[in-house]
Amino acid sequence: MASPLEQFVDNVRTMSASGSFRELCEVIGKSDESLETLDIQQHSLGVLAVLVAKFSLQQGGDVDKSTMFKQIHDFITNCNGEQVRFSPELYAELCHLLTNYLVEIKQPIRGIEILKKAIRKIQLFDSQLTSIHADLCQLCLLSKCMKPALEFLDTDVTGIGSELGGNNDSKHFLLYYYYGGMIYTAMKNYDRALYFFEVVVTVPAMVVSHIMLEAYKKYILVSFILHGKILPMPKYASQVRLIMSWLPPNMLLSNIAIPSSEDKNMGLVNQVLSSMYKKNIQRLTKTFLTLSLSDVAARVQLTGPSQAESYILNMIEEGEIYAMINQKDGMVVFLDSPEKYASPETLCVLEQQMAACTKLHQYIQEMDEQIQVNPQYIKKSVGSHDEDIPATSQNSKTTYSM
Amino acid sequence: MITNFDKLCGDLEKQELEAPTGIASPSTYAQLLAIYLYQNDLCNAKFLWKRIPQNITSSNPEISAIWAVGQKLWKKDLPGTYQALAAFTWTEPVANIIRALEDNIRERTFNLIGRSYSSISIDTVVSMTGLSKDAVLHICRDRKWMLNEDGVTVSPTPPTQPAPLHTSSEDQLFKLTEFVSFLEN
Repeated sequence: MASPLEQFVDNVRTMSASGSFRELCEVIGKSDESLETLDIQQHSLGVLAVLVAKFSLQQGGDVDKSTMFKQIHDFITNCNGEQVRFSPELYAELCHLLTNYLVEIKQPIRGIEILKKAIRKIQLFDSQLTSIHADLCQLCLLSKCMKPALEFLDTDVTGIGSELGGNNDSKHFLLYYYYGGMIYTAMKNYDRALYFFEVVVTVPAMVVSHIMLEAYKKYILVSFILHGKILPMPKYASQVRLIMSWLPPNMLLSNIAIPSSEDKNMGLVNQVLSSMYKKNIQRLTKTFLTLSLSDVAARVQLTGPSQAESYILNMIEEGEIYAMINQKDGMVVFLDSPEKYASPETLCVLEQQMAACTKLHQYIQEMDEQIQVNPQYIKKSVGSHDEDIPATSQNSKTTYSM
Repeated sequence: MITNFDKLCGDLEKQELEAPTGIASPSTYAQLLAIYLYQNDLCNAKFLWKRIPQNITSSNPEISAIWAVGQKLWKKDLPGTYQALAAFTWTEPVANIIRALEDNIRERTFNLIGRSYSSISIDTVVSMTGLSKDAVLHICRDRKWMLNEDGVTVSPTPPTQPAPLHTSSEDQLFKLTEFVSFLEN
């Protein structure tokens, strides 16, 4: 029986061979028939391939894309996760196509829910990074709807999907961390944002990508907002030294601070300025026990006592300083942190941190074991040192089990 | 009267994401915006305001009014916040959330005053809480804040911390055992 699928395959083969792509487009546009004969649940891989072929070819053709959203939606909701996991590249490709389409028609918010579902379906475990993550973050940023991305960003990555790792393009990896950093910056979670930008700039690479450069700019700005200075880069940052040599931080700041500059970092620059006042007030708390509000204003170069009071009040609310304002005398008393580190909450925090460390240790041990049995590793280590390495690896084993 | 806003918030977010054209109903937007303000989640409120389509905001004065409150909160302009809250006659179901929001802001403000001032003039308290002078004096008495001799300043006391939650000693012992067994292996 020549099923529509066989016909379809036949058509694709003959037409591609003869170079008649125009006809091929038409045939593929009508490939819905072959789709109908396939059951999404049972023949997920087949449907996936047809969908990707159909939508990626459409770019040349003028077939309407209105059905695309619905078809991909149906597919992702109903497909068989086990099957599609064999072809993560195609699956991710489908999601990229959907993302591009939604960005094009300027309705990015519609894709968020689908991509969330798509990620959950292809992931083997919660902390696995896939290249779809970057798409989700992009849609969230574009639609200004950040909250859905946070649940993914908040999980620390411990594994990378096969379509993302290996010899493949690192673009989606970089983009995920760059977009993620931007989302955290927007949510004013600067600590985490700094970490995300740091990941981008410390990725080992032969050449500096544009994403890294942009992330480096934001890294500096966020670092200023959070710490009042540029944190030193970790030693393993391979490429960032190169960027620094092109763009020393001072020059970068003055560059970005020009309003007419093409960078869209103006908002962050303004926040750097206001955070400087806060940093200066924080510095005062280290020197003085009591200070009059007008003195604070003079030392931090604010306009007057009332502005100083409102700054201090905001900082107390945010928990950035501990102080008491006495309005009658116009004085501020800077206090030490009231935390005695003896409360049950502290214990709870400590317990959580310990649990996190235990888990991290587990991961490292697992990774270590994997490397130990990796044939390539054994070959290399035995080849170069003969008996040296096995001895040390034995040693390290004993220290672990001690 | 306090309903479960967190759950409502989740439902509304879902409604927005699943809206077929990517645009939810004005009432969804209005409620979600008010709830974000209630949760003091100003970042999300700001982005929600930015993503609501223009034609909806211009045809629904209530959403603009809610965001007017949000703007004042963002600038930490407390007197302005109360003015913005009073300036609009809210309709259900938003009115419910707005009432809770107002109480929430006031409660936070009183706690903040307690933590950050050792003496404060009553006029400042009045403008920071948007209450009448009598009401402020009444609350000060409730919170046992002493009125000073000059009659215009009060001495707030820090709010008492909520009682710490106790974990059972058995639970703690369990965690300790786990920790020790980790160290020893």
